[in-house]
Amino acid sequence: MISDVAAQTVVNVLMLSSIYILVALGFALLLTVLGILNFAHAAIYMVGGYICYQLAVVVGINQWASLLISMIAVGLLGLFLERVFFRPFLKDMNRIVVVTLALIIILQATINVTVGSYIRRIPSFVPGVLRFSGVSVSGDRLATFVIGGVLLLAVILFIRKTKTGLQMLAISQDSDGAALQGIKTHRIFAVTTAIGCALAAVAGSLMGAILSLSPFMGDIMLVKAIEIVILAGIGSIGGVLIGGLILGALDATLPLFISGSATDLTGLCIIIILLLIRPQGLFGREV
Amino acid sequence: MVAGEHAPSGGRNWIKTVAYAGLIILLFLLPLFVDSVYYLHTFIITLIYTIAACSLRTILISGQLSIAHAAFMGLGAYVSSIFARELNWTPWLTIPLGGVSAMVVGVLAGYPLTRVRAIYFSMVSLFVGLAIVALMGVFQKYTGGDIGLIGIPPLPSITIPGLPTINFLSSKIPYYYFFLLLTVFCLMILHSLENSRIGMSWKAIAQSYLVASSVGINEAGFRVLALAVGCFFAGIAGAGYAHYNMVLTRSSFGFLSSVNLLIYVLVGGTGSFFGPIIGTTVLVIVPEIFRWLKTFAPFVFGGIMLLVVFFMPQGIAGLFEQVKTKFLHFQERKKPRDVS
Amino acid sequence: MFLETKELTKNFGGLAAVFQLEMSVREGEIVGLIGPNGAGKTTVFNLITGFLRPSGGRILFDGKDISGKKPHLIAKMGIGRTFQLAYLFPEFTVFENIVTSFNLYPKSSFWEALFKTPSYRRKELYILEQAKEILYLVGLEGVKNVLGRNLPHGYQKLLTMARALAIKPRILLLDEPIAGMSLEEINYAMSVIEKIRSQGVTILLVEHNMRIMTLCDRVIVINFGNKIAEGSMEEVRQNQEVMKAYFGREDAA
Repeated sequence: MISDVAAQTVVNVLMLSSIYILVALGFALLLTVLGILNFAHAAIYMVGGYICYQLAVVVGINQWASLLISMIAVGLLGLFLERVFFRPFLKDMNRIVVVTLALIIILQATINVTVGSYIRRIPSFVPGVLRFSGVSVSGDRLATFVIGGVLLLAVILFIRKTKTGLQMLAISQDSDGAALQGIKTHRIFAVTTAIGCALAAVAGSLMGAILSLSPFMGDIMLVKAIEIVILAGIGSIGGVLIGGLILGALDATLPLFISGSATDLTGLCIIIILLLIRPQGLFGREV
Repeated sequence: MVAGEHAPSGGRNWIKTVAYAGLIILLFLLPLFVDSVYYLHTFIITLIYTIAACSLRTILISGQLSIAHAAFMGLGAYVSSIFARELNWTPWLTIPLGGVSAMVVGVLAGYPLTRVRAIYFSMVSLFVGLAIVALMGVFQKYTGGDIGLIGIPPLPSITIPGLPTINFLSSKIPYYYFFLLLTVFCLMILHSLENSRIGMSWKAIAQSYLVASSVGINEAGFRVLALAVGCFFAGIAGAGYAHYNMVLTRSSFGFLSSVNLLIYVLVGGTGSFFGPIIGTTVLVIVPEIFRWLKTFAPFVFGGIMLLVVFFMPQGIAGLFEQVKTKFLHFQERKKPRDVS
Repeated sequence: MFLETKELTKNFGGLAAVFQLEMSVREGEIVGLIGPNGAGKTTVFNLITGFLRPSGGRILFDGKDISGKKPHLIAKMGIGRTFQLAYLFPEFTVFENIVTSFNLYPKSSFWEALFKTPSYRRKELYILEQAKEILYLVGLEGVKNVLGRNLPHGYQKLLTMARALAIKPRILLLDEPIAGMSLEEINYAMSVIEKIRSQGVTILLVEHNMRIMTLCDRVIVINFGNKIAEGSMEEVRQNQEVMKAYFGREDAA
């Protein structure tokens, strides 16, 4: 029995962390490569979930195919957003803040008008409960962790091993210098946004199967993404993984011990204290 | 000219003064023309948010884009409500107390926040806001938690000998005048501060904190001062709101409300003192007009934001400035140039 | 000694940018601090003015230990500085740039500023007079109302000097005051520096352009964060160490 609870807690931590990391990684990439605070990132996560829902439930095509199509469609949406809404304002923080906040409002309203604000649910990707030597865990939650893990590995390999990925890193270190080196920064910005958005779409779809979808599901996730990036430290991609794990662990275990808003407060206090000791985050360079 | 007063010519100043006076008189006469309770309510809300947005801009001109401002409003609101409800203090006393407590928390949070700048400041300020709202949930006994706080006393009636008693429960008109006076008072203070040496130091820090400290401006000190002033007036606005609305829920001071205030300021334009006033007025009243669109109404709000971002780089107030400069240039061309 | 560093050391992640530097400036002097690229000159400036905290050693100004103090407190003690890049307030006019820089004398309180009391107005009027004087001293009266960001480079450099004068410095640290200027501008800037000194301000400057060294009473040469020579320009020019530092190994010279 106890091992059952323990196993489920572990799976919950891993599942929640995977979703957090999928969203936060894109957010962090946009922050370090494009240098923008993309408030709309979590709204894009929500849109990804709804596209998957529409395809799988309303249109009725294969669920895994829906996930893939949602990922690609939102990636393309990212290309469009970058070109039209981000690129003209990259150097102007005030305008980027307004444009990304406007996007939240418009994306939420679009979903509200087209699908409605009732809570929706994507059917399980892996239905039922899996048993491993006496402990049982939900298939969906395990699947989320596996999909999240595979995607993260892919993205990290992409960043570390491909030319485009290395150029992303170069820009995140010094964007003017990278431009002088002949890196086509705009192309990299586009690729970065597309990847970031696609990852968020996967997270949204998985969340829709584990919990549910609502046009406002992004609001909490945005706060989580910012928390993770701050924890990790600005400019640290590897830190996002650790930060996501820490936050996932806190959110999945704290409710077992403390109830209600004290959970939020405890989590926030841990982060604030950490920031006071290390303002640059766990793995960040000096700010 | 005294430091910070940019108008080079004295001749146009009286036009400005007349324009302000006219506007304020017009606002004072407004209840004579508007008898709809609903419209008055909208105007009162606009006034409350104008105070909050202008105080947020005070923080912003010191280079600190805070995403916690609504939380400080909430702090003032809850402190004022709790003292008035539990201890039966008069709201005339608890409203300033609300402002002071928001200021104290702003200063306490502000010192550690001076270690971070720009985007990082914004992100960390977000946590401060969230922590304050979470705190409201923890002290459920006093704040009512997620159910909300009810039974907050209204403003007590005022008796001036020889005049009829002003009763705040009779209609919305006394509240309208109260908030109009409060807004004028708060804005005068904020305006005076901005157009003083203190305001110039804030703007200097925002432009280059390195240069500012090299000429003896205490960066951390002035940033905390901006937060103190801004949070004080946010607290006042929130406390006023509490005694008007008489019901509080902590969710109305969360992340989204802070973001909303930020939108009012940025859409209005940060370059001018009138930016947040214009931004709040447009963004509170226009969506009310388009309420009949129901689920489509948010598109109006978002649409205004996009319109401003794409076509008015300095916000709506910036557009006025551009028109004004063009007009002045036109005038100057007509005048024979004098050599000085 | 007016300004003095004792075993001043600054490490950046194990690398010593300044190592046990001993140097001193007497009151009323113009001293040039020279050295090859990366010798640690700007680091020394940042250490003296509080923008960096020393890893070791002390900085004495007028007999008082100022090492590790905050920049604005050091400014308050009368140490003014300019930056290598012409940092200024881009959204302020030239005149506002100077007026804003008067923070220390006379000082107004929060309440004075809020209520614009007569004493506040008097102080501000006094500041305006003073700012005008600086404007004339540096020769920027012609561009008084130009925004900082629209100012040509040569003027920007002059403005940074004017701004530093607003704190009524007893010593002025100039970081490459004539870099990137035309010959005509250089001559003008040098005459301004001469004028500033004649008002009793001690000057310590860093410069690559050797033309300015004719102004200096004394030069200090540093390399790898350590003093390698000191004296008049002529003396230093003949120093073997200096030749080595500037032209590489002896055989390359």
